[in-house]
Amino acid sequence: MSEGEIIIRAEGLTKVYRRTSGGKGFLGLFRRRTEEVRGLTDAGFEIRRGEVVGLLGPNGAGKSTTVKLLTGILTADGGACGVMGRTPWLERRKIAADIGAVFGQRMQLWWDVPVLDSFRLLRDIYSVPEARWKARLDELTDALELGGILQVPMRQLSLGQRMRAELCGSLLHEPSILFLDEPTIGLDAVSKLRLRDFLRAENRERGTTILLTTHDMADMLALCPRVLVLGRGRLLYDGGLDALLRRYDTEHTLRCVFDGGAEPEGLPPSVGVRREGEAWTLTFAPAEIPVGEVLAKLLAAGPVRELTLKEQDTDRLVARMYADLKLT
Amino acid sequence: MRYVMHAMRMNLRRAAQYRSSFRMQIAAQIVMTFGDLWAILLLAERFGGMAHWSLYEVMFFFGAMQIAFAVTEMINRGFGHISSLIRMGDLDTMLTRPRGIAAQVILSELDPRRIGSVAVGLTALTVATLKTGLRWTLPDVLLLLWGMTGTVALMMGLFMIEAVVCLFSVQSVEIVNVFTYGGRQTCQYPLDLYPDWLRTTFTYVIPIGLCLQFPVCHILGKPLAGAETGGWVWLGPAAGFVFLGLCSLAWRLGLRHYRSTGS
Repeated sequence: MSEGEIIIRAEGLTKVYRRTSGGKGFLGLFRRRTEEVRGLTDAGFEIRRGEVVGLLGPNGAGKSTTVKLLTGILTADGGACGVMGRTPWLERRKIAADIGAVFGQRMQLWWDVPVLDSFRLLRDIYSVPEARWKARLDELTDALELGGILQVPMRQLSLGQRMRAELCGSLLHEPSILFLDEPTIGLDAVSKLRLRDFLRAENRERGTTILLTTHDMADMLALCPRVLVLGRGRLLYDGGLDALLRRYDTEHTLRCVFDGGAEPEGLPPSVGVRREGEAWTLTFAPAEIPVGEVLAKLLAAGPVRELTLKEQDTDRLVARMYADLKLT
Repeated sequence: MRYVMHAMRMNLRRAAQYRSSFRMQIAAQIVMTFGDLWAILLLAERFGGMAHWSLYEVMFFFGAMQIAFAVTEMINRGFGHISSLIRMGDLDTMLTRPRGIAAQVILSELDPRRIGSVAVGLTALTVATLKTGLRWTLPDVLLLLWGMTGTVALMMGLFMIEAVVCLFSVQSVEIVNVFTYGGRQTCQYPLDLYPDWLRTTFTYVIPIGLCLQFPVCHILGKPLAGAETGGWVWLGPAAGFVFLGLCSLAWRLGLRHYRSTGS
């Protein structure tokens, strides 16, 4: 990845939601209590042009708040923020022309007209010159396989088709930054894979900067070398996804089948041993006993027919991370 | 401008998708508006006019107000649905686009069915013209159009205030309807039929009187509540735009405090 200039910068970014609720009983109708809920507290980060960055965190962590602040939907209560050097909520219309946004749980195209009509209206909303729009549309129609559905009203499309149409709509004006809030939610496996491929290509070929929130760890692994982890409105981690996962990948699991009923022997008590039928499952922390040592003991115990090292389920790793950060 | 025309065409095409329901609803509009007109006809027949107004002069007020209000409703559907625009996240989407939010809200849903009420209003104006023997001059026509435009601006302002409250509470408030729908009902009759406080309210606070009734009186050549009209009535409808200006400031302020919903 090339080191581009800084395209998004946040410093001490803070958003407070004030929730007013009536008190109890009849008098509560007149007395109001105001409760402050921290949407985002003192978040600071920088994103360079061409990066793909994932926003990770449990529900209510501040991911959507962050995206909404960066897109100018919300006004911050504190801190500074620059998207291409402009403050989003003050110069909303100026940066709008250069960003695209897709919210997975919402429909942004007009639901009762053919998809192509929506795209045409978007052309005029963003004032894209006709020739340029046409070229871009052809390109996206190809890449997202939209050819067959351009004349179909949005409401008749499947979820996967809809999401592809939404993506196309958000990219027609060739934005520098694409914000995606849970783009793969509810999609089947094939649609997810296609979407990931498309996003990777979009980033590689056009250098589009992508900021993505998702609960799907497979999305994260496939797309985001770098993640920002949010919890309770605070930025808790900013760095490589691999490094983060390795930190919580503290337990390895080996599955082993012997020929002729041999049993593992000579393992220290820190290794958990379980038997299911003729298969043995060993769990251990590589920090305490190296994988090689466990393997050696197994090979010494008898003729090994099958041996698999099971990879940790990333969802479990993330759950462990959330627990460690006291987010759950 | 290109965007505005395009969005309007799209609204029409959407309405055309449901052709028969569209026709039925226009018919319903006509029947309902005609019901209001019928009430005037009945009253005036019983009492032979209202105060110093003849039946057909009252019809003139009725027609002007109905048309202005119907046009407002044609462009106000988006603001009327603001709470659902907020809930469904459509307002968020609009905020990510390089266009004014008020324009996007208005263009998100136009209501061409109101053409039915416009038709009834025009009929009332026509009948009133024939029966009173009024001779239209070009300035008269311009004054009436200007007055109706000011009234539309005023009503839009009121509906925007309602929308601003929605931005804070995500719920709509009915109190403003006292002035919007209440204003339409009240001001389809000459204001000097009402007690002083009501007349003052709708003349100067919610200035439908300045926007529409003084111009109408000027065209009819009659005073309103003893006040003779003159060239100054041309200034009246500007009050609607001043009002709208203040309301759009409130709207901007509201957007700055907008909190969005869910994820």
